[in-house]
Amino acid sequence: MKDELLTLYYYDDGLTLDERGEIERAMKSDAELRERYDTLCRVLDGLNKTDTAPAPTHLVAQWHDTIDRAAEHEAAAASGPPRLFHLGSFFWGTAVAASLAVAVAIGVLLSGEQIEGPDPDDGYVDVTNGTGREEPAAFSRGLLVHFQQSRDQLIDLSPDSNGARADLIMTIIQQNRLFERMAKQNDARDLARVLRAFEPILLRLSSEDISAEDAAALQAQLAFELNIVLTKLARRASDDTQSIDI
Amino acid sequence: MEAAIQQHAVPTKAEFHMAIARRADRWYSACLKITRSPDLAADAVQDALLSAWSKRSQFGSSARLETWIHRIAINSALQLLRKCKPDRFAALETEIPDESISPHDSLADTQLESRLAVALKELTDIERVCFVLKHFEQWRLKEIADELGTNVGVIKQALFRAVRKLRVNMADMRS
Repeated sequence: MKDELLTLYYYDDGLTLDERGEIERAMKSDAELRERYDTLCRVLDGLNKTDTAPAPTHLVAQWHDTIDRAAEHEAAAASGPPRLFHLGSFFWGTAVAASLAVAVAIGVLLSGEQIEGPDPDDGYVDVTNGTGREEPAAFSRGLLVHFQQSRDQLIDLSPDSNGARADLIMTIIQQNRLFERMAKQNDARDLARVLRAFEPILLRLSSEDISAEDAAALQAQLAFELNIVLTKLARRASDDTQSIDI
Repeated sequence: MEAAIQQHAVPTKAEFHMAIARRADRWYSACLKITRSPDLAADAVQDALLSAWSKRSQFGSSARLETWIHRIAINSALQLLRKCKPDRFAALETEIPDESISPHDSLADTQLESRLAVALKELTDIERVCFVLKHFEQWRLKEIADELGTNVGVIKQALFRAVRKLRVNMADMRS
């Protein structure tokens, strides 16, 4: 009888009842076979006497910590974030703030008045003071049209069209980003910087915790920037030049 | 404690901690026998605990939490081993001796009981896995075949080769 059958007999697996009965009968009548089986049992049983390798203590501590962290994460997820970002509030806040700022700037442009910008001695950096980059005229005209259309649309908006205003402001922001990417592609980094500079001001203005004084200062800054950009854009476009120098 | 676990459909964090305190050594040792790598064994237990925690709602009250995690740890160890040695692990019907001795192997040998470590070292991956699952984990041959994606005949042959080698190795050590 092969040792393989004795192995399966030892593990009590892979044999039918008839096969097991046959092996048992053979071992009763065959002392040498019984001895072979006993030897096999001693070897395999001996392997069971090996001690369990203890897990390093730092690993055990790590596993306890894993459960703690998983439980904490689960509890935090179940209770929800401490303060949910409300998209509707964002749109509305941005819309109001941007509308105010742009309206102030547009109003200034239309009336021909100047808003005094922040004092340069206060550390203010005029983001419109670039070193001079050339952009295609089509791009400059497109940017001018974008601002002009935005201005016209804002003027035409009725005061109670909250949804339309919010959509318009978001469109302005998205178009600003589009022009910013185009400016980068045209290596007009200063213009891209100008466009990028508008967004944090708008976002800051939309925040709920801003004080009235800070809001007024930011609105003045935004109006000042818009004033300069629109004026330069309009002048350069009317000059029919191939470049814009902001 | 066992009674308390059986009463709860969903094990608590305290019960997980208790299970770790009582059985982490066994989980780790089993995974170490399968992988022969302390790093893989540690990862297997870690993965098993996270998996068990996230799926604890599926824990059956008739089972013991420790046994349930043990089984998950074994499966994790097999998965990690397959990822690390997909080609060698796939060679089910060949006898490719594992002659690569790495620092991990040496560390594993010191952590496993020395005689067993020496004996297991002579086995191929598939022989070792089949032997460990059959002898120490007491899986049925059919279970092993299903887990490894092969048939019982292949598992039997790997087991026979493993036992044959182990008997020779153990006899050599005695002499």
